[in-house]
Amino acid sequence: MDTHQVESPNSHSTSRRQLIASLLAGGAAVVAAPMLAGRASAEGATDAPHRDPADNATLNAGLERETRMAATYRIAVASASGDDNKAALSLILDHHVAYAQAIHGYLATKVITPSSAPLASPSGSFAQIAVQLASLEDETTNIHIDSLAAIKGLDASTLIASIVTVEARHAAALTLVAGATPIIAAGN
Amino acid sequence: MNTQNSSQSISRRNMLRTSGVLAASGVVLAACGSSKPTVTRIGESPTTLKLDDVAVTDIVLLRTAMSVETMVSGLLGDSAVIGLADPKVAPVIASFASAHIAHLEEIRPLIAARGGKAFEETNEKLMQSYGQTALDLVKEGKVAADALALTHALETLVAGTYQYFVSLTVEPGLRASMMRLGVKASRRAAIAAQLIRGGTAAFAPANDDAGVPLVSTLPSAFGSLSAVQVALGPVTETGSRNTILMDTPSLNSLIY
Repeated sequence: MDTHQVESPNSHSTSRRQLIASLLAGGAAVVAAPMLAGRASAEGATDAPHRDPADNATLNAGLERETRMAATYRIAVASASGDDNKAALSLILDHHVAYAQAIHGYLATKVITPSSAPLASPSGSFAQIAVQLASLEDETTNIHIDSLAAIKGLDASTLIASIVTVEARHAAALTLVAGATPIIAAGN
Repeated sequence: MNTQNSSQSISRRNMLRTSGVLAASGVVLAACGSSKPTVTRIGESPTTLKLDDVAVTDIVLLRTAMSVETMVSGLLGDSAVIGLADPKVAPVIASFASAHIAHLEEIRPLIAARGGKAFEETNEKLMQSYGQTALDLVKEGKVAADALALTHALETLVAGTYQYFVSLTVEPGLRASMMRLGVKASRRAAIAAQLIRGGTAAFAPANDDAGVPLVSTLPSAFGSLSAVQVALGPVTETGSRNTILMDTPSLNSLIY
């Protein structure tokens, strides 16, 4: 439905009355602003803390897991044959490096230097390598999800959630290219 | 020569008295001010319905998750979608639709444990926003590939919904429960992507020869919360297809 607006011919220039009314209204708005702001921020927000120092140990464990995943993928990239396969594993390696960097950045000075020992030495055909890596991805996803139940801070939870959702994709895709059926690879 | 000044000097008393009168007059004038708008409106304008004063609780998020799962199950399980899909792919899509029904079974006890009431219907707001349009386009276009494209988009949407809900959920244990459901949808999204464009070459983002982005299995390192885009339906007069934008539920589509 169209709504048209036209300028009123009897519109007035700013009068003293309007000025005073505006000043009073402005004053009222200033007084009410803190109350309105509190109401607006309450919508969609939670009472949970954004950061909690108690989460640091769990996050350091997550950092170590990601660091070790990256080390494992470096071995897998070297072992894999075929340009596309190497490129695909390099992409996932980059993801894990990014996860480690993100958690490291979050922890900042609270980082405990993680182990960088690989979790496995994937070898064999590409299908065999993919199966081993998919299993590690599944483990990592479960570790992170379990950690979500312990993490109190919203910011850290949000970060971990954004990581596990892609790690689940890693696991499914690797399982599929290793030869599983789509339904099995999807975990259905 | 004596000069007599007849004008009175401004005394402190007069100044205070005048200022007081002016201030009081200002208040009276403001109170008497007309509330008539200075802009004349022609025609009818829609009435703005104010949302109820409600809170986004963990139960609200779970009820909304149920509505999204129901919607996606209905869309993927629609005979138009399953019937259109390649015979090799149709059972996969059907199993995905069933998986969303299974998700409902997992969410119900989570709601009951928190004293809430399960929501057994679809999300009408999201259906109006894009769900029904997507289904209509699939039916209209009769393009087999649309069945998988819709599947990929909807599974990505469900995964994004749970990921987003983590940032709104108060109880840490519930965040974990939500992500257990979210990663299942995420896995299915990856499988749908592989069925559209398979092999390890399709892991990374890429464009076709015309520069159009191709479906990739791993489009980003971190889960994205931006709207899911999917092109569906018949080719239009301009040679393109309709693009549907699917957003995760927000304040106006939560089930309170």
